[in-house]
This record gives sequence, structure tokens and C-alpha cells, in this order.
Amino acid sequence: MALLQISEPGKSTMPHEHRRVIGIDLGTTNSLVASVVSGSPAILNPNEKSNLLPSVIHYSKEGILVGNDAKNLLSKDPKNTISSVKRLIGKTISDINQDHFPLSLADGEGVININTSIGMKNPIEVSAEILKTLKSFAEDNLGGELMGAVVTVPAYFDDAQRQATKDACELAGLNVLRLINEPTAAAVAYGLDKKSMGHFVVFDLGGGTFDVSILNLSKGLFEVLATHGDANLGGDDFDQAIVNFLNNKYKLKVKDIEVQSLVSIIAREIKESLSTKKEVVIEEKISDIEIVETFTQEQFKTLVKDLIEQTLKATKNALNDAQLNYDQIDGIIMVGGSTRMPCIQEAVKNLFKQDLHNDLNPDEVVALGAATQANILAGNGEEDLLLLDVTPLSLGIETMGSIVERIIPRNTTLPVAMAQEFTTYKDGQTAMIIHVVQGERELVDDCRSLAKFTLKKIPPMVAGAAKIKVTFQVDTDGLLSVSAEETTTNAKASIEVKPSYGLSEDKIKTMLQSSFDLAEEDKNSRMLAETKIEAIQLIELTQKALDTDNDLLSESELNSIKNDLDALIDSIKSSNNDKIKEANKKLNTQSESFAAKRMDRSIQKALTGKSINKLEF
Amino acid sequence: MIQNYFELFNLPEKFQLDLEMLQENYRAIQKKIHPDRFATSSENEKVQSMIKSTQINDAYQTLKSPIKRAKYILSLHKSVEKITLPPDFLMQQMEWEEHLEEIEKNNSELVQFKLTINKKYEEYSLLLSSQIDDDQNWSDAAITIDKLYFVEKLLHKINNVLN
Repeated sequence: MALLQISEPGKSTMPHEHRRVIGIDLGTTNSLVASVVSGSPAILNPNEKSNLLPSVIHYSKEGILVGNDAKNLLSKDPKNTISSVKRLIGKTISDINQDHFPLSLADGEGVININTSIGMKNPIEVSAEILKTLKSFAEDNLGGELMGAVVTVPAYFDDAQRQATKDACELAGLNVLRLINEPTAAAVAYGLDKKSMGHFVVFDLGGGTFDVSILNLSKGLFEVLATHGDANLGGDDFDQAIVNFLNNKYKLKVKDIEVQSLVSIIAREIKESLSTKKEVVIEEKISDIEIVETFTQEQFKTLVKDLIEQTLKATKNALNDAQLNYDQIDGIIMVGGSTRMPCIQEAVKNLFKQDLHNDLNPDEVVALGAATQANILAGNGEEDLLLLDVTPLSLGIETMGSIVERIIPRNTTLPVAMAQEFTTYKDGQTAMIIHVVQGERELVDDCRSLAKFTLKKIPPMVAGAAKIKVTFQVDTDGLLSVSAEETTTNAKASIEVKPSYGLSEDKIKTMLQSSFDLAEEDKNSRMLAETKIEAIQLIELTQKALDTDNDLLSESELNSIKNDLDALIDSIKSSNNDKIKEANKKLNTQSESFAAKRMDRSIQKALTGKSINKLEF
Repeated sequence: MIQNYFELFNLPEKFQLDLEMLQENYRAIQKKIHPDRFATSSENEKVQSMIKSTQINDAYQTLKSPIKRAKYILSLHKSVEKITLPPDFLMQQMEWEEHLEEIEKNNSELVQFKLTINKKYEEYSLLLSSQIDDDQNWSDAAITIDKLYFVEKLLHKINNVLN
């Protein structure tokens, strides 16, 4: 391995290094990867004719197929060919209608298991296969290892679905710079393209999810005002409406996986043809039953009337939450392949009484926006752009009588932390179960259960005397963390976390280890290389910080940081992984308050030059 | 370091606030300290930017909402006490609630009622600004805040019925 070079303090070696980063749209039907190449975002795909990678995986003893090769096996080997896995991620078996999946599904611990010929696979592993494929496309195309990725999720994904997506990225070996919401990513692609300003609606109907977001675009700032949607509504459901019609009319076997996967394929073809034609004629034979049918756009519209109505209702709700009227909307951005359906375009146009923006390819716009955002996060671009997104669903905890007490309301700008105090119900009570839920309904059973905590070692007191402060924090990935403490005494109560969904951290680690078939030696040298890179980055950043802001430190503080900095530089020469890690940690701890002071200075600087007391009453 | 929210945004400590200035300064600060600006920084800076950005969001939401803003100003000057609303206002509350139930299905009456309650909202807001900004009469202001809170909730209810 080549020796790592270390610059002299103060002389940075990599101020303008271009970092290899990508944006990924992990879709229900298709997935895409994009990157900013010579200043503008482009879809990467060197190996296939289309820019889209079908989100389909085929498992067999011969190996794993992803994309078109897998898609071709959908009707031949439906049990081992997994499509629309996004509709299963972050869920349990009781959340879904198994009839809609031509697969053999079983209940796993916190996940759904898919029974394939080479064993059980969960949606996180399956999604990771798609991500791995995209990652290797990108690495081939960009010529080297990636520094990180921005991965998009539906805005209406709940915490469990977001966490599961992030876990899939980890399993695929991707460093997630940020999870961002699909409609927000689309707005970035459109907004930057058109230099637009004002209030915009992003109407995003994908293969399996529907989001509608209202954004305010101003110079360099994309602020999400409200978001609404349905994480279980998409093009698949429009197919299903045709499937149901055909099943009823021709008395097809609903429980036969092979029949149903054929009907699904026919239904999708009908739907897609109707996007460009007024009517379509089909003549097919499914297990001895002749199907002859003429479908018109009008007929299709009647079949999917309720689905369209659902999207319009969500749009109205989002506008309501944003406190805007139809006439205050400056533009409507149509995103997702399903917005090609004429009935959808017509319905949205009629609702707002204005033309739609659909000039960017609705399949590609999310990945392009994600690539742009990745480029900005990596510090590559000059663009002065900031996204402020919101929580899509309210977060709360269960109280007496299975009623939900809301702690963070929906559409709150991220990052956010909010706390609420609770008390004991019985004299001498020393433990309390905290049940975290997400959703808009009053009753716990109607909301999504996210986790159960047991708060222990509460000092025994009379009922109602203890004060338990529960704090919810949602970070910029939209992920929740919860902490709790008893505030009347100094005793910190302990927390036991039991997520209702997803995989435990240990399980992910085991899966990660088994997925890397590396020899012990390779693993060690890889680990050392990563530790060294991390240390070098910290050295660079600390030196830079000292160069600009050393006046914030007292002499002794400055000396302590310098000592730890020197120690870290020394430690790298040792090539001892533990020693470097230790020195790294020490410098990090030492400069904690320095970082805080620097942040305060940034706040002051942000407002310098602005007049105080502009308005005197 | 959590400082006074008004100082944070470089604004005078008043109930009558320049909301455009508040928004402009909020955005200027977030552009500097939002975690997206530190995606490739050290752990320390990531954590600090997360903490500060969260505080800025909280401070902004507090000053943006008239009721939260008024409560915040009061909390800087006066310890929180239990408020009892005067009996005549409680009577008025009940009358409004009953009226809303009666006209639930009548759109034009609902629109009319909304206008009336909107006027009340304006009235209490004005009262609050003189109680806080001119008289520093915290005790009276506390009662007006509760009235304003009720009127705001009633407006929400009317809007929900209208939709």
C-alpha cells in the first residue's frame, strides 16, 4: 500500500479536491443513479440501453440478477423474482395485503421475509442489491471509489421506512451523506434549472408511492412548507385496478401466482399504452382463458376514479397546511413515471387551473436533483443552495387510554427537538413504558408504532410527583431519536430501546461482515486506511479552524488543542489503528467547545451589516 | 449558549415584530450553520451545527407565532401563573361554540362568522401589543394571550368546517 502523505501544519494539500459523490433514486419500479459531471447533473448508466435500472432482483443458485435480466424472469420464475420491494421495506407482514405480491412472504423479526429458492431474504437485503448495482455503475463511470451518496425517499415515508432504507445503503457499502425527500430533490432539479422563485407544488406519483409537497423557492433557499401523501399509492395500484377488473370479468384464479403475475404484466402494458393512445385492444390467453378486450382512456379513468380522488385530496390537505390558496401557486411540477397518465395530468390541471411543468423527464428528475444536492453537500459546487425540509407525520407517545400525545406536529422544519413532561400513575412507580408512535390519528392503534422504551430506575415517589421529560429529536435525514430522563432528582433513568420494526444494529453488522468475503489481513489494512483518512481529514479541518478562529481560544486552550493535534499527526506514523483512533477521539473531545464557539461566530457573522432596530414602535 | 431569541435574530424585543426581517435573518443564519453545510466536516462540527440549527428553528418558530412570541416575552419578565379567564369571556366562548354548531351547514353564515372572529383576533392582537410594548402590563397581557389562543383555535375549527 502506498504511504499516506501528511502535509505540514497550515499547508493544506486538498483544498479544491473534487469529491466523487452520487445521487440515487431508489424507486419502486425503476432506480437511477446520477452525478454532477463537468458542472451539470447527468444520469450514469454505461451498461444498459436505458437510463433506468428496473428495481427487480432474481435469486437463484447460479447467482443474483438485478435489472432487466431479472425483469425478464418475472413471469417465468415469479417466486424468485422480486419487484416493487420498496412497498415492503420498513414494514411487517400485517401491514400489507399479501394478495398484491406474487411472492411467498413470511413474518420475520421486525421485517418481512421473502422465501426464495436460496433462502429467506428481507427487503433491506434486496434493496441493498439494487444499491450495489447502482454503486458499481457509478464507480465504473466516475473512475474510482465514491465518497458518498444522497439517497432519496418518498416524503411520506415514516421513520421505520427511512431507517430501513438507510440500513440498506449501509449494507451496500454506501456512505449516506443525506436522505432527502423525492419531491424536494425534484424541486432542486427544476428550480436550479429555471432559476424560479415563488410557491411551487411538486406532485410526485411514482410506482408505489405518492407525495405532494408545497415549497417556497427564493434565492438559494428551498423551504418545504408542507408535505402530504400516501406511501402506499402509486402506479402499481392503477395496474391493480385493471387486474381486479380482468380477474372479475374472466374469473381468473386469484391465488395462482403464475396467472396473477401474467395478468399484472398485461395490466401494466394496457396502462402504459393508454398514456399515448386513446384506446388499446388486447388479445391474450391465460391458462386456457381467452381474454379479448378493448380498453379506452375513459373506461380506465372510471376504474381509477377513487385513486385519482385520493391524490387530489392529499394535495388539498397540503395546501391547507401550507395556508395557501390555489391562486397563490406559481407553478406545478409533475414528477414520477405515473404522472404520464393523461387522467392524472387532466385532474391536476383542473384543480389548479394552470399548466403543468413536465418538461424534464419525470423518471429522471429526482435522481438529477439528488446528484446536485450530493455535489453541494460534498462542497464541490459553488452553488449557494440550502434545503429546509419538514417532518411529514406527527410524532408522539402513548398516554392513558391509548390516546396519542403529540410531541412534534407534522410539517415542522428540520432539524427539530421538542420535549414533553409526563408523570407517574401509581405511588412508588419505578418504571414506565414509553411507546413512540407516528401518525395523525388520535388513537394509538390507528398510528404507526415505532418503538417501545422502558424507562427504569425512576426514584419511588407518590403518584404524579415524578417528572419524566421525554425529548424527541428529528435530524436532517428525517430520522427520530428519543431520550428520556427524570428531572426532579439527579438520578438519570436508563432507557431500553426496542424498535417495533427493522433490524437491530447487531444484525446489520453480522450481515455486513458476511457480505464482505475479505481475508482477515485485507480487512485490517482496509480498516487502517480508513482510520488514517479520517485522521488526516480531522487534522486538515482543525488546522483550517485554527488558522481562521484561533482568537476564540485562551492560550491554554490553544496549547491543549495543538498538543492533541501533534499527537494525532505522530500517531499516523505508527500505523497502529487503535492508537490513531484514540488520538483522533482525544482531539475531537478537546475541540468540542471550540467548534461551538466557531458556530456562534458564524451566527453573528451571518447578520453583520444588517441594521438593528429597523422598526421602532 | 442559548441567548435571548430577539438578540439572536438582531431584532428589538417587541410584540410588534418586523416579520420579514425575522425571516430574512433566520434564513441568513441557517445558510451558515445548517448541518448541510457541515456534511463533510468533523464529528464535532456536525454535532454543533445540528444543535445550533435546531435551536435556531425553535427560536424562529417561537417568534413567528404571535401567541408563542407573546408568551416568550412574558416568560422573560414574569413567572408563569395559572390564568383564570373572566366569566364574561367564558360566556362568550360558549355562545361562539354554540353558534358554530348551529350554522355548521350554512356556508354563507360560516364565512360571515369567520369574518367576525377574524376581527376579534385583530382586536386582541392590537390589545396585546399595547399591553406588552407600551404598558408592560404582564398580568393583563397573560389574560389576553389566553383569549387570543381560544380565538385562534376557533378560527381553525371554522376553517375545518368550511373545508
